[in-house]
Amino acid sequence: MPTPEPDIASSQIPVRLTGASFVWPGGRGVADVNLAVQRGEIVTLLGPNGAGKSTILKMLSGEVAPQRGEVSIFGEHHGPSARRRIGLVLQEPSTDDLMTLRETLQLHGRLFGLRRNALYQRCQELLDSLGIGDRANDRCETLSGGLRRRLDIARALLHHPDLLLLDEPTLALDPDSSLAIWETLHDRASDGAAVVICSNDTVEAERNADRVVFVNDGRQVAQDTPSSLTSGLKSDALELDWPELRAADLDELTRWDGVGDTIRTDDGLHLTVDNSAEIVPRLFQTYGSQIAGIRIRESSLRDAWFKIVGRPIENGSGPEA
Amino acid sequence: MIEFAHASLALLNRDIRAVARSRSQLYSSLLFPLMLLALLGTGVSSGLSPTSPRILNGDYTSFLAPGMIAMTALFSSTFSSAGFYRDRESGLLRAMLASPHSPQTILFGKSLGAILIGTIQALAVLVLAVIIPGIDLSWQYGWLGGVATVVVTVLALNFMLSGLSLLLALKIKTMQGFHLVMNLVLFPLFFLSGAFFPLDEVPTWLEAIGYANPLTYAVDLLHYASYADSPDGLIGPLIDGLVLGSLAALLFAFGLRRAPRSV
Repeated sequence: MPTPEPDIASSQIPVRLTGASFVWPGGRGVADVNLAVQRGEIVTLLGPNGAGKSTILKMLSGEVAPQRGEVSIFGEHHGPSARRRIGLVLQEPSTDDLMTLRETLQLHGRLFGLRRNALYQRCQELLDSLGIGDRANDRCETLSGGLRRRLDIARALLHHPDLLLLDEPTLALDPDSSLAIWETLHDRASDGAAVVICSNDTVEAERNADRVVFVNDGRQVAQDTPSSLTSGLKSDALELDWPELRAADLDELTRWDGVGDTIRTDDGLHLTVDNSAEIVPRLFQTYGSQIAGIRIRESSLRDAWFKIVGRPIENGSGPEA
Repeated sequence: MIEFAHASLALLNRDIRAVARSRSQLYSSLLFPLMLLALLGTGVSSGLSPTSPRILNGDYTSFLAPGMIAMTALFSSTFSSAGFYRDRESGLLRAMLASPHSPQTILFGKSLGAILIGTIQALAVLVLAVIIPGIDLSWQYGWLGGVATVVVTVLALNFMLSGLSLLLALKIKTMQGFHLVMNLVLFPLFFLSGAFFPLDEVPTWLEAIGYANPLTYAVDLLHYASYADSPDGLIGPLIDGLVLGSLAALLFAFGLRRAPRSV
Protein backbone atom coordinates (compact mmCIF):
# COMPACT_ATOMS: atom_id res chain seq x y z
CA MET A 1 0.00 0.00 0.00
CA PRO A 2 1.53 3.35 -0.99
CA THR A 3 2.21 5.79 1.82
CA PRO A 4 2.76 9.19 0.24
CA GLU A 5 5.25 11.34 2.08
CA PRO A 6 3.68 14.64 3.14
CA ASP A 7 5.35 17.81 1.97
CA ILE A 8 6.58 18.54 5.45
CA ALA A 9 9.02 21.20 4.32
CA SER A 10 6.37 23.68 3.29
CA SER A 11 5.93 26.55 5.71
CA GLN A 12 2.34 26.99 4.55
CA ILE A 13 1.32 23.77 6.30
CA PRO A 14 -0.37 24.66 9.60
CA VAL A 15 0.42 21.42 11.39
CA ARG A 16 3.60 19.45 11.07
CA LEU A 17 5.11 16.60 13.00
CA THR A 18 8.56 15.66 11.75
CA GLY A 19 10.09 12.45 13.06
CA ALA A 20 8.29 13.04 16.34
CA SER A 21 8.68 10.45 19.11
CA PHE A 22 7.44 10.34 22.67
CA VAL A 23 7.66 7.43 25.11
CA TRP A 24 5.74 7.44 28.39
CA PRO A 25 7.25 5.98 31.54
CA GLY A 26 6.44 2.28 31.18
CA GLY A 27 7.35 2.16 27.52
CA ARG A 28 4.20 3.05 25.61
CA GLY A 29 4.30 5.90 23.14
CA VAL A 30 4.93 6.67 19.49
CA ALA A 31 8.03 6.74 17.33
CA ASP A 32 8.99 8.67 14.24
CA VAL A 33 5.64 10.23 13.35
CA ASN A 34 5.57 12.37 10.21
CA LEU A 35 2.35 14.19 9.65
CA ALA A 36 1.34 17.34 7.83
CA VAL A 37 -2.21 18.68 7.92
CA GLN A 38 -3.47 21.34 5.55
CA ARG A 39 -6.07 24.01 6.17
CA GLY A 40 -9.56 22.72 5.44
CA GLU A 41 -8.45 19.12 5.76
CA ILE A 42 -9.95 16.50 8.08
CA VAL A 43 -7.36 13.93 9.07
CA THR A 44 -8.24 10.90 11.14
CA LEU A 45 -5.64 9.08 13.20
CA LEU A 46 -7.07 5.58 13.08
CA GLY A 47 -5.97 2.74 15.32
CA PRO A 48 -6.94 0.49 18.19
CA ASN A 49 -6.78 1.43 21.86
CA GLY A 50 -3.20 1.75 22.97
CA ALA A 51 -1.87 2.41 19.48
CA GLY A 52 -0.52 5.87 20.37
CA LYS A 53 -3.11 8.14 18.73
CA SER A 54 -3.73 10.18 21.88
CA THR A 55 0.01 10.64 22.35
CA ILE A 56 0.23 12.13 18.86
CA LEU A 57 -2.68 14.41 19.72
CA LYS A 58 -0.94 15.45 22.94
CA MET A 59 2.17 16.38 20.99
CA LEU A 60 0.01 18.47 18.66
CA SER A 61 -1.81 20.18 21.52
CA GLY A 62 1.44 20.92 23.33
CA GLU A 63 0.58 18.83 26.39
CA VAL A 64 3.78 16.89 25.84
CA ALA A 65 6.84 17.87 23.83
CA PRO A 66 8.35 15.29 21.50
CA GLN A 67 11.48 13.71 22.94
CA ARG A 68 12.83 13.42 19.40
CA GLY A 69 11.76 15.19 16.24
CA GLU A 70 9.76 18.38 15.97
CA VAL A 71 6.25 19.70 16.17
CA SER A 72 5.29 22.90 14.43
CA ILE A 73 1.93 24.59 14.77
CA PHE A 74 1.40 27.46 12.33
CA GLY A 75 5.11 27.75 11.83
CA GLU A 76 6.13 27.90 15.46
CA HIS A 77 6.95 25.53 18.26
CA HIS A 78 4.34 25.36 20.96
CA GLY A 79 3.69 28.60 22.73
CA PRO A 80 0.78 30.81 23.78
CA SER A 81 0.06 32.07 20.26
CA ALA A 82 -0.07 28.52 18.88
CA ARG A 83 -2.35 27.39 21.71
CA ARG A 84 -4.62 30.34 21.04
CA ARG A 85 -5.31 28.85 17.59
CA ILE A 86 -6.08 25.34 18.83
CA GLY A 87 -9.45 23.95 19.90
CA LEU A 88 -9.12 20.73 21.89
CA VAL A 89 -11.71 18.06 22.63
CA LEU A 90 -10.53 15.44 25.09
CA GLN A 91 -11.41 11.76 25.01
CA GLU A 92 -13.80 12.02 27.97
CA PRO A 93 -16.37 14.80 28.40
CA SER A 94 -14.62 17.44 30.50
CA THR A 95 -17.24 19.49 32.26
CA ASP A 96 -17.89 20.51 35.84
CA ASP A 97 -21.27 19.20 37.00
CA LEU A 98 -21.89 22.28 39.14
CA MET A 99 -21.44 24.76 36.29
CA THR A 100 -24.09 25.66 33.75
CA LEU A 101 -23.43 25.25 30.05
CA ARG A 102 -23.10 28.99 29.61
CA GLU A 103 -20.71 29.31 32.55
CA THR A 104 -18.57 26.49 31.14
CA LEU A 105 -18.24 28.31 27.84
CA GLN A 106 -17.75 31.70 29.47
CA LEU A 107 -14.89 30.41 31.62
CA HIS A 108 -13.07 29.09 28.59
CA GLY A 109 -13.91 32.12 26.50
CA ARG A 110 -12.31 34.34 29.12
CA LEU A 111 -9.24 32.10 29.28
CA PHE A 112 -8.94 32.65 25.54
CA GLY A 113 -9.28 36.40 25.95
CA LEU A 114 -12.82 36.87 24.61
CA ARG A 115 -14.58 39.93 26.00
CA ARG A 116 -17.78 39.79 27.94
CA ASN A 117 -20.42 41.02 25.46
CA ALA A 118 -19.02 39.27 22.41
CA LEU A 119 -18.54 36.15 24.51
CA TYR A 120 -22.16 36.02 25.65
CA GLN A 121 -23.34 36.24 22.06
CA ARG A 122 -20.82 33.68 20.82
CA CYS A 123 -21.81 31.20 23.53
CA GLN A 124 -25.48 31.37 22.62
CA GLU A 125 -24.71 31.15 18.91
CA LEU A 126 -22.63 28.00 19.39
CA LEU A 127 -25.05 26.33 21.78
CA ASP A 128 -27.86 27.04 19.30
CA SER A 129 -25.87 25.67 16.38
CA LEU A 130 -25.24 22.44 18.27
CA GLY A 131 -28.89 22.12 19.28
CA ILE A 132 -28.41 22.79 23.00
CA GLY A 133 -29.25 26.49 23.10
CA ASP A 134 -32.33 25.87 25.24
CA ARG A 135 -30.15 24.21 27.90
CA ALA A 136 -27.74 27.16 28.29
CA ASN A 137 -28.66 27.81 31.91
CA ASP A 138 -28.90 24.18 33.00
CA ARG A 139 -26.15 22.63 35.05
CA CYS A 140 -23.88 20.18 33.24
CA GLU A 141 -24.93 17.42 35.66
CA THR A 142 -28.31 17.35 33.89
CA LEU A 143 -26.81 16.59 30.46
CA SER A 144 -26.66 13.20 28.77
CA GLY A 145 -23.33 11.93 27.41
CA GLY A 146 -24.21 13.09 23.90
CA LEU A 147 -25.14 16.60 25.01
CA ARG A 148 -21.97 16.86 27.11
CA ARG A 149 -20.00 15.99 24.02
CA ARG A 150 -21.73 18.74 22.09
CA LEU A 151 -20.79 21.14 24.87
CA ASP A 152 -17.15 20.00 24.59
CA ILE A 153 -17.28 20.72 20.88
CA ALA A 154 -18.83 24.14 21.51
CA ARG A 155 -16.03 24.92 23.96
CA ALA A 156 -13.38 23.89 21.46
CA LEU A 157 -14.94 26.09 18.76
CA LEU A 158 -15.51 29.11 21.01
CA HIS A 159 -12.39 31.09 20.08
CA HIS A 160 -12.57 30.34 16.32
CA PRO A 161 -9.57 27.98 16.29
CA ASP A 162 -7.64 27.29 13.10
CA LEU A 163 -6.74 23.80 14.29
CA LEU A 164 -9.20 21.44 15.91
CA LEU A 165 -7.85 18.41 17.79
CA LEU A 166 -10.47 15.88 18.82
CA ASP A 167 -9.99 12.62 20.69
CA GLU A 168 -12.79 10.16 19.86
CA PRO A 169 -15.42 12.92 19.61
CA THR A 170 -18.31 10.64 18.74
CA LEU A 171 -17.45 7.60 20.83
CA ALA A 172 -20.60 5.89 22.19
CA LEU A 173 -22.86 8.71 21.03
CA ASP A 174 -26.37 8.44 19.65
CA PRO A 175 -26.68 8.96 15.86
CA ASP A 176 -28.22 12.44 16.22
CA SER A 177 -25.36 13.71 18.36
CA SER A 178 -22.77 12.13 16.06
CA LEU A 179 -24.39 13.71 13.05
CA ALA A 180 -24.56 17.14 14.71
CA ILE A 181 -20.88 16.92 15.62
CA TRP A 182 -19.75 15.80 12.16
CA GLU A 183 -21.79 18.54 10.48
CA THR A 184 -20.09 21.09 12.71
CA LEU A 185 -16.64 19.69 11.98
CA HIS A 186 -17.23 19.70 8.23
CA ASP A 187 -18.44 23.31 8.49
CA ARG A 188 -15.29 24.32 10.34
CA ALA A 189 -13.11 22.54 7.80
CA SER A 190 -14.98 24.33 4.99
CA ASP A 191 -14.15 27.58 6.75
CA GLY A 192 -10.46 26.69 6.56
CA ALA A 193 -9.72 25.01 9.87
CA ALA A 194 -7.43 21.98 9.97
CA VAL A 195 -9.08 19.10 11.84
CA VAL A 196 -7.27 16.14 13.41
CA ILE A 197 -9.35 13.37 14.97
CA CYS A 198 -8.37 10.24 16.89
CA SER A 199 -10.71 7.34 16.26
CA ASN A 200 -10.98 3.60 16.05
CA ASP A 201 -14.18 3.79 14.01
CA THR A 202 -13.32 2.79 10.44
CA VAL A 203 -16.80 3.59 9.15
CA GLU A 204 -16.76 7.18 10.41
CA ALA A 205 -13.20 7.67 9.19
CA GLU A 206 -14.03 6.41 5.71
CA ARG A 207 -17.14 8.55 5.55
CA ASN A 208 -15.73 11.81 6.92
CA ALA A 209 -11.96 12.02 6.68
CA ASP A 210 -10.05 13.55 3.78
CA ARG A 211 -7.03 11.56 4.86
CA VAL A 212 -6.55 8.65 7.23
CA VAL A 213 -3.39 7.81 9.14
CA PHE A 214 -3.14 4.24 10.39
CA VAL A 215 -1.43 4.11 13.79
CA ASN A 216 -0.49 0.77 15.26
CA ASP A 217 1.81 -0.16 18.15
CA GLY A 218 3.19 3.37 18.33
CA ARG A 219 4.00 3.51 14.63
CA GLN A 220 2.40 5.31 11.74
CA VAL A 221 1.92 2.42 9.31
CA ALA A 222 0.09 4.12 6.42
CA GLN A 223 -1.55 7.36 5.44
CA ASP A 224 -3.66 8.25 2.43
CA THR A 225 -7.16 9.19 1.37
CA PRO A 226 -9.78 6.58 2.34
CA SER A 227 -10.42 5.80 -1.33
CA SER A 228 -6.71 5.23 -2.01
CA LEU A 229 -6.35 3.03 1.04
CA THR A 230 -9.26 0.86 -0.10
CA SER A 231 -8.54 1.02 -3.84
CA GLY A 232 -6.48 -2.18 -4.03
CA LEU A 233 -9.07 -4.26 -2.23
CA LYS A 234 -11.45 -6.77 -3.82
CA SER A 235 -15.06 -5.65 -3.64
CA ASP A 236 -16.37 -7.89 -0.84
CA ALA A 237 -14.98 -8.89 2.52
CA LEU A 238 -15.64 -12.17 4.31
CA GLU A 239 -14.92 -12.92 7.94
CA LEU A 240 -15.03 -16.63 8.60
CA ASP A 241 -15.21 -18.35 11.98
CA TRP A 242 -12.94 -21.23 11.14
CA PRO A 243 -11.01 -22.24 14.24
CA GLU A 244 -9.57 -25.44 12.74
CA LEU A 245 -8.29 -23.83 9.54
CA ARG A 246 -5.32 -25.84 8.24
CA ALA A 247 -2.34 -24.31 6.45
CA ALA A 248 -2.94 -26.52 3.43
CA ASP A 249 -6.55 -25.34 3.13
CA LEU A 250 -5.48 -21.72 3.40
CA ASP A 251 -2.87 -22.30 0.74
CA GLU A 252 -5.46 -23.84 -1.56
CA LEU A 253 -7.89 -21.00 -0.93
CA THR A 254 -5.39 -18.29 -1.90
CA ARG A 255 -5.14 -19.92 -5.33
CA TRP A 256 -8.86 -19.65 -6.06
CA ASP A 257 -9.84 -17.16 -8.75
CA GLY A 258 -11.46 -14.04 -7.32
CA VAL A 259 -9.85 -14.37 -3.89
CA GLY A 260 -7.69 -11.44 -2.83
CA ASP A 261 -5.97 -10.91 0.49
CA THR A 262 -6.30 -13.65 3.07
CA ILE A 263 -5.37 -13.02 6.67
CA ARG A 264 -5.53 -15.62 9.37
CA THR A 265 -7.17 -14.34 12.58
CA ASP A 266 -7.36 -15.76 16.11
CA ASP A 267 -10.49 -17.74 15.35
CA GLY A 268 -10.61 -18.02 11.60
CA LEU A 269 -9.95 -16.19 8.39
CA HIS A 270 -10.46 -12.75 6.91
CA LEU A 271 -10.46 -12.48 3.14
CA THR A 272 -11.48 -10.13 0.38
CA VAL A 273 -13.08 -11.48 -2.78
CA ASP A 274 -14.31 -10.18 -6.15
CA ASN A 275 -17.77 -11.61 -5.82
CA SER A 276 -19.05 -13.09 -2.58
CA ALA A 277 -22.08 -14.60 -4.38
CA GLU A 278 -19.72 -16.94 -6.23
CA ILE A 279 -17.14 -17.59 -3.53
CA VAL A 280 -19.38 -18.22 -0.53
CA PRO A 281 -21.30 -21.22 -2.00
CA ARG A 282 -18.01 -22.72 -3.17
CA LEU A 283 -16.50 -22.21 0.29
CA PHE A 284 -19.36 -24.06 1.95
CA GLN A 285 -19.30 -26.84 -0.64
CA THR A 286 -15.60 -27.40 0.01
CA TYR A 287 -15.14 -26.62 3.70
CA GLY A 288 -18.70 -26.24 4.99
CA SER A 289 -18.35 -28.62 7.91
CA GLN A 290 -15.37 -26.66 9.28
CA ILE A 291 -16.84 -23.15 8.98
CA ALA A 292 -18.83 -22.18 12.07
CA GLY A 293 -19.93 -18.74 10.91
CA ILE A 294 -19.53 -16.11 8.25
CA ARG A 295 -19.97 -12.34 7.94
CA ILE A 296 -20.21 -10.81 4.47
CA ARG A 297 -19.99 -7.11 3.65
CA GLU A 298 -18.59 -4.66 1.15
CA SER A 299 -14.87 -4.05 1.51
CA SER A 300 -14.03 -0.96 3.50
CA LEU A 301 -11.32 0.83 5.41
CA ARG A 302 -11.60 -1.90 8.01
CA ASP A 303 -10.28 -4.35 5.40
CA ALA A 304 -7.52 -1.96 4.36
CA TRP A 305 -6.45 -1.95 8.01
CA PHE A 306 -6.68 -5.74 8.06
CA LYS A 307 -4.50 -5.98 4.99
CA ILE A 308 -1.83 -3.57 6.22
CA VAL A 309 -1.72 -4.47 9.91
CA GLY A 310 -2.68 -8.14 9.70
CA ARG A 311 -5.28 -8.15 12.44
CA PRO A 312 -8.66 -6.54 13.11
CA ILE A 313 -8.61 -2.97 14.41
CA GLU A 314 -10.59 -3.88 17.52
CA ASN A 315 -7.76 -6.16 18.69
CA GLY A 316 -6.12 -3.35 20.63
CA SER A 317 -3.25 -3.77 23.00
CA GLY A 318 -4.47 -2.21 26.24
CA PRO A 319 -5.39 1.25 27.44
CA GLU A 320 -4.80 4.18 25.14
CA ALA A 321 -1.38 5.75 25.49
CA MET B 1 -0.33 41.26 32.73
CA ILE B 2 -3.91 42.19 31.84
CA GLU B 3 -4.45 38.74 30.35
CA PHE B 4 -3.01 37.17 33.49
CA ALA B 5 -5.43 39.16 35.66
CA HIS B 6 -8.30 38.38 33.30
CA ALA B 7 -7.62 34.62 33.45
CA SER B 8 -7.04 34.60 37.22
CA LEU B 9 -10.30 36.43 37.84
CA ALA B 10 -12.21 34.06 35.55
CA LEU B 11 -10.88 31.06 37.48
CA LEU B 12 -11.52 32.75 40.82
CA ASN B 13 -15.08 33.54 39.78
CA ARG B 14 -15.64 29.93 38.75
CA ASP B 15 -14.21 28.43 41.96
CA ILE B 16 -16.24 30.74 44.18
CA ARG B 17 -19.41 29.77 42.32
CA ALA B 18 -18.50 26.10 42.74
CA VAL B 19 -18.05 26.46 46.50
CA ALA B 20 -21.19 28.56 46.83
CA ARG B 21 -23.06 25.66 45.21
CA SER B 22 -21.52 23.08 47.56
CA ARG B 23 -23.62 24.15 50.51
CA SER B 24 -22.57 21.25 52.73
CA GLN B 25 -18.95 22.41 52.55
CA LEU B 26 -19.97 25.96 53.41
CA TYR B 27 -22.11 25.00 56.39
CA SER B 28 -19.72 22.42 57.81
CA SER B 29 -16.77 24.80 57.66
CA LEU B 30 -18.68 27.22 59.90
CA LEU B 31 -20.54 24.75 62.08
CA PHE B 32 -17.53 22.67 63.08
CA PRO B 33 -15.57 25.52 64.76
CA LEU B 34 -18.74 26.79 66.40
CA MET B 35 -19.43 23.31 67.73
CA LEU B 36 -15.91 23.08 69.16
CA LEU B 37 -16.25 26.50 70.76
CA ALA B 38 -19.57 25.59 72.33
CA LEU B 39 -18.77 22.04 73.45
CA LEU B 40 -15.03 21.95 74.05
CA GLY B 41 -14.83 25.58 75.21
CA THR B 42 -17.67 25.31 77.68
CA GLY B 43 -16.67 21.80 78.78
CA VAL B 44 -13.07 22.72 79.57
CA SER B 45 -13.98 26.07 81.11
CA SER B 46 -16.56 24.52 83.45
CA GLY B 47 -15.24 21.00 83.92
CA LEU B 48 -11.48 21.60 84.22
CA SER B 49 -11.37 25.23 85.43
CA PRO B 50 -8.04 26.03 83.70
CA THR B 51 -5.72 28.20 85.79
CA SER B 52 -3.04 29.12 83.23
CA PRO B 53 -2.42 32.88 83.16
CA ARG B 54 -2.60 32.67 79.37
CA ILE B 55 -6.25 31.57 79.64
CA LEU B 56 -7.78 34.79 80.85
CA ASN B 57 -10.24 34.34 83.73
CA GLY B 58 -10.26 30.60 83.10
CA ASP B 59 -12.41 31.25 80.02
CA TYR B 60 -11.27 28.51 77.66
CA THR B 61 -13.94 29.30 75.03
CA SER B 62 -12.43 32.73 74.41
CA PHE B 63 -8.91 31.28 74.38
CA LEU B 64 -10.03 28.76 71.76
CA ALA B 65 -11.49 31.39 69.38
CA PRO B 66 -8.23 32.43 67.57
CA GLY B 67 -7.36 28.75 67.12
CA MET B 68 -10.77 28.15 65.54
CA ILE B 69 -10.08 30.96 63.06
CA ALA B 70 -6.81 29.24 62.11
CA MET B 71 -8.53 25.87 61.96
CA THR B 72 -11.22 27.17 59.61
CA ALA B 73 -8.59 28.61 57.30
CA LEU B 74 -6.75 25.31 57.46
CA PHE B 75 -9.67 23.09 56.56
CA SER B 76 -11.48 25.28 54.08
CA SER B 77 -8.27 25.96 52.21
CA THR B 78 -7.59 22.24 52.07
CA PHE B 79 -11.13 21.43 50.95
CA SER B 80 -10.93 24.02 48.21
CA SER B 81 -7.60 22.66 47.08
CA ALA B 82 -9.28 19.29 46.69
CA GLY B 83 -11.11 20.98 43.79
CA PHE B 84 -7.85 20.47 41.93
CA TYR B 85 -8.59 16.76 41.95
CA ARG B 86 -12.19 17.23 40.87
CA ASP B 87 -11.02 19.29 37.93
CA ARG B 88 -8.27 16.85 37.09
CA GLU B 89 -10.60 13.86 37.19
CA SER B 90 -13.30 15.59 35.15
CA GLY B 91 -10.73 16.63 32.52
CA LEU B 92 -11.56 20.29 33.09
CA LEU B 93 -8.04 21.04 34.29
CA ARG B 94 -6.59 19.58 31.09
CA ALA B 95 -8.97 21.70 29.05
CA MET B 96 -7.93 24.80 31.02
CA LEU B 97 -4.23 23.99 30.61
CA ALA B 98 -4.77 23.87 26.85
CA SER B 99 -5.52 27.61 26.93
CA PRO B 100 -2.84 30.15 25.94
CA HIS B 101 -1.94 30.76 29.59
CA SER B 102 0.98 29.21 31.41
CA PRO B 103 0.25 26.38 33.86
CA GLN B 104 1.37 28.80 36.60
CA THR B 105 -1.37 31.26 35.65
CA ILE B 106 -4.01 28.52 35.70
CA LEU B 107 -2.91 27.14 39.05
CA PHE B 108 -2.52 30.65 40.47
CA GLY B 109 -6.11 31.42 39.48
CA LYS B 110 -7.29 28.19 41.04
CA SER B 111 -5.28 28.79 44.22
CA LEU B 112 -6.70 32.30 44.44
CA GLY B 113 -10.14 30.75 44.87
CA ALA B 114 -8.91 28.46 47.66
CA ILE B 115 -7.16 31.39 49.39
CA LEU B 116 -10.10 33.73 49.16
CA ILE B 117 -12.63 31.11 50.27
CA GLY B 118 -10.40 30.03 53.17
CA THR B 119 -9.94 33.66 54.20
CA ILE B 120 -13.62 34.55 53.99
CA GLN B 121 -14.67 31.51 55.99
CA ALA B 122 -12.00 32.14 58.65
CA LEU B 123 -13.09 35.76 58.95
CA ALA B 124 -16.71 34.63 59.20
CA VAL B 125 -15.68 32.68 62.32
CA LEU B 126 -14.01 35.83 63.65
CA VAL B 127 -17.25 37.76 63.11
CA LEU B 128 -19.23 35.04 64.91
CA ALA B 129 -16.71 35.08 67.77
CA VAL B 130 -17.19 38.82 68.10
CA ILE B 131 -20.98 38.54 67.99
CA ILE B 132 -21.42 35.56 70.32
CA PRO B 133 -21.91 36.73 73.91
CA GLY B 134 -19.46 35.10 76.30
CA ILE B 135 -16.49 35.21 73.95
CA ASP B 136 -14.18 38.00 75.08
CA LEU B 137 -11.51 39.25 72.72
CA SER B 138 -9.21 41.91 74.26
CA TRP B 139 -7.95 43.59 71.06
CA GLN B 140 -4.98 44.80 73.11
CA TYR B 141 -3.78 47.22 70.40
CA GLY B 142 -7.25 48.33 69.34
CA TRP B 143 -9.76 46.49 67.22
CA LEU B 144 -8.83 48.22 63.96
CA GLY B 145 -5.18 47.14 64.08
CA GLY B 146 -6.23 43.81 65.52
CA VAL B 147 -8.67 43.04 62.74
CA ALA B 148 -6.15 44.16 60.11
CA THR B 149 -3.54 41.84 61.66
CA VAL B 150 -6.01 38.95 61.73
CA VAL B 151 -6.89 39.51 58.05
CA VAL B 152 -3.24 39.61 57.00
CA THR B 153 -2.42 36.55 59.13
CA VAL B 154 -5.29 34.55 57.70
CA LEU B 155 -4.31 35.53 54.16
CA ALA B 156 -0.68 34.55 54.72
CA LEU B 157 -1.79 31.29 56.33
CA ASN B 158 -3.99 30.51 53.33
CA PHE B 159 -1.21 31.29 50.88
CA MET B 160 1.05 28.93 52.81
CA LEU B 161 -1.57 26.19 52.92
CA SER B 162 -2.41 26.61 49.24
CA GLY B 163 1.26 26.23 48.36
CA LEU B 164 1.49 23.11 50.50
CA SER B 165 -1.73 21.68 49.05
CA LEU B 166 -0.50 22.38 45.54
CA LEU B 167 2.79 20.64 46.13
CA LEU B 168 1.05 17.61 47.60
CA ALA B 169 -1.68 17.54 44.95
CA LEU B 170 0.87 17.57 42.14
CA LYS B 171 2.64 14.66 43.77
CA ILE B 172 -0.27 12.54 45.04
CA LYS B 173 -2.41 11.06 42.28
CA THR B 174 -5.71 10.40 44.08
CA MET B 175 -7.97 12.58 46.18
CA GLN B 176 -8.20 9.85 48.82
CA GLY B 177 -4.43 9.79 49.12
CA PHE B 178 -4.34 13.58 49.29
CA HIS B 179 -6.87 13.68 52.15
CA LEU B 180 -5.04 10.92 53.98
CA VAL B 181 -1.72 12.77 53.79
CA MET B 182 -3.32 16.12 54.60
CA ASN B 183 -5.00 14.66 57.68
CA LEU B 184 -1.74 13.07 58.71
CA VAL B 185 0.02 16.41 58.34
CA LEU B 186 -2.72 18.82 59.39
CA PHE B 187 -3.97 17.30 62.63
CA PRO B 188 -0.57 17.12 64.35
CA LEU B 189 0.22 20.59 63.04
CA PHE B 190 -3.03 21.90 64.41
CA PHE B 191 -2.84 20.17 67.81
CA LEU B 192 0.72 21.43 68.33
CA SER B 193 0.10 25.00 67.21
CA GLY B 194 -0.92 26.53 70.51
CA ALA B 195 -4.54 26.61 69.41
CA PHE B 196 -5.69 24.20 72.15
CA PHE B 197 -3.13 24.87 74.89
CA PRO B 198 -0.40 27.47 75.49
CA LEU B 199 2.95 26.11 74.31
CA ASP B 200 5.00 27.91 76.96
CA GLU B 201 3.57 25.71 79.71
CA VAL B 202 4.14 22.25 78.20
CA PRO B 203 7.19 19.96 78.55
CA THR B 204 10.26 21.15 76.65
CA TRP B 205 10.13 18.40 74.00
CA LEU B 206 6.54 19.31 73.15
CA GLU B 207 7.36 23.00 73.18
CA ALA B 208 10.26 22.36 70.76
CA ILE B 209 7.96 20.53 68.34
CA GLY B 210 5.45 23.34 68.69
CA TYR B 211 7.99 25.99 67.74
CA ALA B 212 9.07 23.94 64.73
CA ASN B 213 5.47 24.02 63.53
CA PRO B 214 4.71 26.84 61.05
CA LEU B 215 1.09 26.97 62.16
CA THR B 216 2.22 27.99 65.67
CA TYR B 217 3.28 31.39 64.32
CA ALA B 218 -0.12 32.01 62.75
CA VAL B 219 -1.99 31.03 65.93
CA ASP B 220 0.41 33.14 68.01
CA LEU B 221 -0.22 36.16 65.81
CA LEU B 222 -3.97 35.64 66.01
CA HIS B 223 -3.77 35.41 69.80
CA TYR B 224 -1.56 38.49 69.90
CA ALA B 225 -3.89 40.58 67.74
CA SER B 226 -7.30 39.54 69.06
CA TYR B 227 -7.40 37.56 72.30
CA ALA B 228 -4.40 38.35 74.53
CA ASP B 229 -4.43 41.36 76.85
CA SER B 230 -0.62 41.55 76.96
CA PRO B 231 2.30 40.30 74.85
CA ASP B 232 3.60 38.17 77.76
CA GLY B 233 4.21 34.54 76.85
CA LEU B 234 3.70 35.16 73.11
CA ILE B 235 6.35 34.90 70.40
CA GLY B 236 5.47 38.32 69.07
CA PRO B 237 4.45 39.82 65.73
CA LEU B 238 7.92 40.35 64.31
CA ILE B 239 9.04 36.71 64.41
CA ASP B 240 5.50 35.47 63.66
CA GLY B 241 5.28 37.72 60.63
CA LEU B 242 8.72 36.81 59.34
CA VAL B 243 8.24 33.06 59.68
CA LEU B 244 4.70 33.04 58.32
CA GLY B 245 5.41 35.48 55.49
CA SER B 246 8.57 33.70 54.36
CA LEU B 247 6.97 30.26 54.44
CA ALA B 248 3.86 31.49 52.63
CA ALA B 249 5.94 33.07 49.86
CA LEU B 250 8.28 30.11 49.58
CA LEU B 251 5.69 27.33 49.57
CA PHE B 252 3.33 29.16 47.23
CA ALA B 253 6.07 30.08 44.77
CA PHE B 254 7.53 26.58 44.89
CA GLY B 255 4.07 25.02 44.38
CA LEU B 256 3.43 27.18 41.31
CA ARG B 257 6.89 26.53 39.92
CA ARG B 258 6.17 22.83 39.85
CA ALA B 259 2.99 23.30 37.80
CA PRO B 260 3.05 20.96 34.79
CA ARG B 261 1.50 21.52 31.35
CA SER B 262 0.15 17.98 31.29
CA VAL B 263 -1.90 16.47 34.14
